[in-house]
Amino acid sequence: MGDAIVGVVANPLSGRDIRRLVTQASVFPTAEKANMIQRMLTALDAVGVQRVLLSADLGGISASVFRAIGRRRSQDGRWPEVEFLDGQPIRQTAQDTVDAVRRMVTAGARVIVCLGGDGTARVTASAVGDVPMLALSTGTNNTFPVVREATIAGLAAGLVATGMVPDGGAATRAKLLEARVGDRVETALVDVAVSTERHVGARAVWDPAKLTELFCAFAEPDAIGLSSILGQVSPVARHESHGVTARITAEAALQVLAPIAPGLVVRVGVRAIEPMRPGSVHPIDARAGVIVVDGERELTFEPGEQPTVRLRADGPWCVDVPAVLAASARLGLLRRAR
Amino acid sequence: MTDTVERRALTPGQLLSVYRAMRSIREFEERVHAEFATGEIPGFVHLYAGEEASAVGVCSNLDDRDTIASTHRGHGHCIAKGVDVSEMMAEIYGRRTGSCHGKGGSMHIADLSKGMLGANGIVGGGPPLICGTALAAKIKGTGGVSVAFFGDGASNQGTTLESLNLASVWNLPAIFIAENNGYAEATSSTWSVASDNIADRAAGFGMPGVIVDGFDFFAVYETASEAVSRAREGGGPTLIEMKFTRYFGHFEGDQQTYRAGEVEHARAELDCLKRFAARVIETGELARSDLDAVDAEVATMIDKAVDDAKAAPLPTEADLLTDVYARY
Repeated sequence: MGDAIVGVVANPLSGRDIRRLVTQASVFPTAEKANMIQRMLTALDAVGVQRVLLSADLGGISASVFRAIGRRRSQDGRWPEVEFLDGQPIRQTAQDTVDAVRRMVTAGARVIVCLGGDGTARVTASAVGDVPMLALSTGTNNTFPVVREATIAGLAAGLVATGMVPDGGAATRAKLLEARVGDRVETALVDVAVSTERHVGARAVWDPAKLTELFCAFAEPDAIGLSSILGQVSPVARHESHGVTARITAEAALQVLAPIAPGLVVRVGVRAIEPMRPGSVHPIDARAGVIVVDGERELTFEPGEQPTVRLRADGPWCVDVPAVLAASARLGLLRRAR
Repeated sequence: MTDTVERRALTPGQLLSVYRAMRSIREFEERVHAEFATGEIPGFVHLYAGEEASAVGVCSNLDDRDTIASTHRGHGHCIAKGVDVSEMMAEIYGRRTGSCHGKGGSMHIADLSKGMLGANGIVGGGPPLICGTALAAKIKGTGGVSVAFFGDGASNQGTTLESLNLASVWNLPAIFIAENNGYAEATSSTWSVASDNIADRAAGFGMPGVIVDGFDFFAVYETASEAVSRAREGGGPTLIEMKFTRYFGHFEGDQQTYRAGEVEHARAELDCLKRFAARVIETGELARSDLDAVDAEVATMIDKAVDDAKAAPLPTEADLLTDVYARY
């Protein structure tokens, strides 16, 4: 079995942006993020994971888990050994997530669990390499991460990390969208949009009037977020090899009601819907604006820079929780003698 | 189906005003820092340098109907709300020409004509005040909004928590700006704030809580704009937490043994003025020469404010009893 190491990275800032104010989006308290990690530790131990690497943060999550470990009594059962990835400067930016994930990969983590919203999953995916990731939702839009009980996620992560569930079928490879402005690159797991706003500002997007183009790696009919715009008119599943793109304009003949953010169902005009083939490069039409990755304004561009978007097939490997637990049932992995 | 509000982009003229206000605060504070070291300024000063995007990003959304309550670190809020810089400097020097005729000093600068309810030496003193002015605005139907700035230390005070409760219960046009600069005097907020994020506390009072990069003017402006619209339209209070660093110690003379490296990093990488300037030049909204002209104009203004303050008369014995008692 070797070292069954699981990495857990939690974003202390997920679920805190302006969408609490403009669309009554949900609040995910720090205490609950720390509780989720504790529930996961219990599950990881139950399936034989001995070592967990946990990101350090200034938002109180790692501190809360640290205190919980100290308070734990002998009758509470065991937890794996938890190593806190401290000792590096904490900038309170997305770079902290990148740094933590890279350290987990280097240390030999077999699975990396991330707690956050779409933004956190996106940043984790950019650093995870070939190590399977499991994205749990503690953020806002949550198109990519799933809302799932952390105990179950912990069991699945543990079954994969220990090798009890064999690799084949335990993880699936996600698609990836790559937005490029000169030598600046951002990746998205779900959607890339173009906004004519000039500034990154509060990052979130809740006004469709500023959007001109949309690119989706997948667009599910029951999605929340910008991909929902195409999810109702030209759905594309996660496992399909292609993506879909369209122009956004208020004057379009095709109008769709789309839940582009929690608490926000807006009318969006869509035209020129086309499939995106893996590898093909799509130049962006707008002269200047901001590229929105997985619902957050991220990359500004000015006249003459000619940004492009490309669909890639080599996204992160993602643990398929239902498939892992189904395999466990088939193989009797959680059965015990009386 | 939700209506979305079309946000208007700031005009070049408005962007220049924003820059002028942020630059004025920075220059004012850097100068007070230098002058305080000479021993000429009486009392204590707590400097706001580094936090300019918060005061200006919020106050750019306010008008004459609106009031703000400030803190012991109040110079930035005063300037952002339009208090006269020369009168402020004279007040800090304890001169008769000051905003409060030289009897208040740094921690009590107030100008009710500008809707500035006062800097406040009491930690957590501001939030209850704005519940009063917000209630008045609501009853009178003025459309006015009240804003309390307070720090991470004040976020743990009973007065602040009672005010959050009252503002929510009364559905007041009140906005609470938690300026979390990381330390209450020398105590780290990561240790002293039990919820870790001050914004998390909003949920307990039934109001939205948002965290903003306090170094980023555009992020602050956009968030405050939504909170102000919501308050004006009767939507109720909002709590916004700014995360940033103050560039100077808690007070002038603070040895700052509790932190290392943060200020250098912030000044080099995160500074609100540098980021704002780089961005508006990149988009072509303003030219470097526009900003340079403002820098020169502000430097002259602050020089004059200091010279005038030093030359101004001190209060007399007869002034001691004026403005002490109010008749209602």
